[in-house]
Amino acid sequence: MEQMALTAPGGDHSLWALFWQAGWVVKLVMLGLLAASVWTWAIIIDKVLVFGRMRSALNRFEEVFWSGQSLEELYRSLSERKTSGMGSIFVAAMREWKKSFEKGVKSPISLQNRIDKAMDLALTREMEALESRMGFLATIGSAAPFIGLFGTVVGIMTSFQAIAASGATNLAVVAPGIAEALLATAIGLLAAIPATIAYNKLTTDAARLGLRMEGFADEFSAILSRQIDEKLPVRAAA
Amino acid sequence: MKAGLTSSVALHAVVLGVGLISLSSPRPLELTNVESFPVDIVPIEEIAQSVQGERTAPVAEIPAPKPTDKPAPEPVEDAQNVGDNKTDLATPPTPEPKPRPVETAEAPPPAPEPTPAPVPEPEPTPAPAPEPQPVPATEVAPTPEPKQEVKPDPAPEPVQPEAPAPDVAALPDVAPVPQAKPQPPKAQTAKTPERREPEKPREERRRETASSDSNDKSVEDQVAALLNREKASGGGAKRSEQQAALGGRQTTGAKLSQSEMDALRSQIQRCWNVPAGAAEAENLKVSVQFKLSASGELDGDPRIVAGGGSGGIERTAAESARRAVIRCAPYNLPSEKYEAWADVIVHFDPRDMF
Repeated sequence: MEQMALTAPGGDHSLWALFWQAGWVVKLVMLGLLAASVWTWAIIIDKVLVFGRMRSALNRFEEVFWSGQSLEELYRSLSERKTSGMGSIFVAAMREWKKSFEKGVKSPISLQNRIDKAMDLALTREMEALESRMGFLATIGSAAPFIGLFGTVVGIMTSFQAIAASGATNLAVVAPGIAEALLATAIGLLAAIPATIAYNKLTTDAARLGLRMEGFADEFSAILSRQIDEKLPVRAAA
Repeated sequence: MKAGLTSSVALHAVVLGVGLISLSSPRPLELTNVESFPVDIVPIEEIAQSVQGERTAPVAEIPAPKPTDKPAPEPVEDAQNVGDNKTDLATPPTPEPKPRPVETAEAPPPAPEPTPAPVPEPEPTPAPAPEPQPVPATEVAPTPEPKQEVKPDPAPEPVQPEAPAPDVAALPDVAPVPQAKPQPPKAQTAKTPERREPEKPREERRRETASSDSNDKSVEDQVAALLNREKASGGGAKRSEQQAALGGRQTTGAKLSQSEMDALRSQIQRCWNVPAGAAEAENLKVSVQFKLSASGELDGDPRIVAGGGSGGIERTAAESARRAVIRCAPYNLPSEKYEAWADVIVHFDPRDMF
């Protein structure tokens, strides 16, 4: 930091030059913010893709589910491959159903509870997958400006120290140091703004998808409960 | 996740690349070379206020003419003449005073003789009045023409009899020595006629004095003559031996100091009988304007410029204020700031009195 030299007036003021002239603290801050920005955008793109896929999968599943196809058949076809969203909830519930009936059902109430639990678990897992890494976006959105500001303050501090050492107060001497320090804040804002916007948007989207899945789980639970009521009296009678 | 990360890295690479190219070295600001010039804030007083002095003289810390500290009962008029006098005399210099010093310088030996003479003084005083003629008669020798012109104009009769009385008494004794006389008087005459006579006679006399000085052996006379001439030519100040400093013809823009204002205020306050019942009255402010002469006397009647409405109590308050101003005259204010207090407005507020 101490050996930071003041740039001569009229020197190179491109972004690259500004970066290289900065002290190591400022450089570190800038690099960290750049990495955070890259990671933020990676998450954003990933989430957008995942959400899109999830939405189409939900649509497709609902179409198939309400098409009147036999649930047994659907379960067989779905359990063979990796499922997501409503599919996994359906599979979890059907698995529990099957297991229970294979070993004989003692009480319809406990069966209903087990199925609900299984579906809740599946729903929670799905939601967790959807909302994973969203916390990072929130953190970047709120913290990146401060990190950038920190870099700027340190940069201006060193810049003023250098000015005090050189004894010159010309604006041409002051300007480059401040410009490069401000670059840190600029990068911080650059990372924070998309992160904040994306976080808000993705959170809303995830909540909407979660609601849809919850609705399906409730509906499926009601269907299964009806099935249990239809089947168990027969068995009890038999 | 991999797709997101790669696309993110690619996106950042693109943005950084574009940024490096488009944001490289911003164009330097084109600054026109502007001359900066200092701006001083000059208080208006520096222009509006001036101190009496000499136009061509250099600036000095203290203005040379020392102003009179206290106003005399009657303002002292400006000196009409430049001279050695300690006080200013309004009477124009007459040729009489000239011979007087001459004779004292010339005739120390005869001095004892005239001393007895003054005893009969009262008697001769009326008599010598016509006698001054013999005095100039002796003077006719140097330059008769200008002197005769001077004499008839100013010679005031009352002045003459008093002054020449001892001289005349001395004259007859010294009369036989006319040669020595002209010298010292010339030195003084060189000064006095300056203002009242054309320049020619002065120059002539100067030449004569110069020559006669060299002839004369009395160094003191020479020095006196030189000194006198210096004073006559130099721009002396009214009642000061200092050289005048830079300034205008008169002092303007002077302000009364706080203590002077307080003095005036308290003086008026003492004379003011606050109308009874004014304590409760809310708005009995009265402003009285009055003019003052240079001696501090009221010049004309004080005028009520504000307040003193139609109501009885207001009327009374206004009249009491006016009476206070009249009763307090004359006012003792510094004469050199006469301009500042020539016209005064005093605000009377009964509320301040209780």
